Amino acid sequence: MRRTGHIYTYWLTIPALLLFGIFFVGPSVYSIYYSLTDWVIGKDSVSFIGLENYRTIFGSDELTHAIYNTFLYAVIVVIGKNVNGLLLALAVNTKMRLQGYFRVIFFLPCVISTIIIGLVFVPVLHPNGILNEFLGNIGLGFLQQGWLVDTKIVMVSIAGVSIWQWSGYHMVIYLAGLQGIPDSYYEAAKIDGATALQSFFGITFPMLAPAFNINMLLSLIGGLKVFSEPYALTNGGPGNASQVIALEVFSKFGRGQWGLGTALNVTLAIFVSVISIPVLYLMRKREVEE
Amino acid sequence: MGARRKAALTRILLQIVLLLISLVIIAPLLIMLLGAFKNSTEVTSFNLELPEKWLFENFMTVIEQGKLLPAFWNSILITLASTAATILTSSLAALVLARRNTGLSRFLYYFFFLGTIIPMQIMPTIRLFTVMDIYGGYLNVIILYTAINIPFSCFLYTGFIKGIPKVLDESAFIEGASALQTYFHIILPLLKPCNITVLILLFTGIWNEINIPLYFLNNPAKRTLPLSVYQFFGMYGGSNWNLVFADLTLAALPVVVLFLFMQKQFINGLTEGAVKG
Repeated sequence: MRRTGHIYTYWLTIPALLLFGIFFVGPSVYSIYYSLTDWVIGKDSVSFIGLENYRTIFGSDELTHAIYNTFLYAVIVVIGKNVNGLLLALAVNTKMRLQGYFRVIFFLPCVISTIIIGLVFVPVLHPNGILNEFLGNIGLGFLQQGWLVDTKIVMVSIAGVSIWQWSGYHMVIYLAGLQGIPDSYYEAAKIDGATALQSFFGITFPMLAPAFNINMLLSLIGGLKVFSEPYALTNGGPGNASQVIALEVFSKFGRGQWGLGTALNVTLAIFVSVISIPVLYLMRKREVEE
Repeated sequence: MGARRKAALTRILLQIVLLLISLVIIAPLLIMLLGAFKNSTEVTSFNLELPEKWLFENFMTVIEQGKLLPAFWNSILITLASTAATILTSSLAALVLARRNTGLSRFLYYFFFLGTIIPMQIMPTIRLFTVMDIYGGYLNVIILYTAINIPFSCFLYTGFIKGIPKVLDESAFIEGASALQTYFHIILPLLKPCNITVLILLFTGIWNEINIPLYFLNNPAKRTLPLSVYQFFGMYGGSNWNLVFADLTLAALPVVVLFLFMQKQFINGLTEGAVKG
């Protein structure tokens, strides 16, 4: 029997391609045009205004502060989630009876919606909340803060909640990396007289590179796209102290300034791409070479 | 002997430290859970004390006033429909991406790749749905979740299918099955383990997500669970934290229960998704 079709015909990709192409790529391409217009809801005509929206963004204190906050937040969560995740993984990876329990408990927060977690932390972080009360009771009263009301530390507090929620997730990825290292490596090092610290930097650390890359990238991209954490905890406040790019997009959307909002959204897309695509490219290249 | 004792001691200390850390994880969730049973004055101390009287009626109040049941069904509908559509379309496409090694298939791979990183553009998408006259309803949310989740699950399936021997599908094809028949009878049954990973990944992701319903569901009757929770907080956050906590507890419950019953699948599914995608 003569077959005319191909077994892996490209027709099979059509549904995915159409959906992704029309509803993700299409608007992404169009957004570049819209970001160069004075698109406002309720106005009949849309006219081209060049880079005016971008000038507005980078000339506005509120919006540049939101950009600064986004990067600040991303840096804090990348460091916090990875340091915590790695330390927890190293601790849990020792032979212990409660390993299963710790894995489940530390992982639990990340199956719950960020919105729910955020709202739970609103009273916890209140100036008279349980965190400050606890710090006072254990003699650390000098650490008490107006976590969500002090404009200087509000971003750190929001990042802290996210670190609280996601460290266990990153822990599990590091844990998988750790458990992939053959015991024989450590035994060989021990025979050669390596100290614990030496085998950590000589074996554990390099062998964890893939897990490390993934965790860095996930926390970085997630950090730059941040929306629900500040939305639930402060809604950008007090004032505009905890605004981030994605929240500003939402506020421009609400005010009908869709041209400006789109320009902000495009700015975010550019930041995320410029930062993460080269990182990913290098990662993939290195993995292929290895 | 001394060294071994020291190691044992370190291990015990380590477990104690980890236990304390696990309390840090549990405490806020417990404040929520216990607070859900308290009365509106008792709850304002936001502590770990047991309620004086367990007020189960808080949950009834919340289900009624927070309109949790319709929100729950909205979430079910949107999550299941988007998950099913994503699994079907992305595994079909992955079959081609995994088996063919041409310039076109590599191009498609990178084309999808962009979608795993770059944030979506909201307002032009709204415009598109408005022109199509489906903006604001279930359909546009389901389409959107499918569109943005295709790339990631496509990668997972591509990686997985590469591990299935090619002979299996080729022999079926030679025996006269069409490409689609081969997919449904040979490939799809073999994808079961990967389906579970993708299912858990998509289910929790979509169930918990708030951004898309916030922009794309303009009818309050169609709002999803996390969205209804936020609106409920807006109404009662100042006065009735016990009700807010009851609302949060009920909203968190479905996924938490699923997680506790299927811990292994959840932990493996959610992390495997990240590692392989």
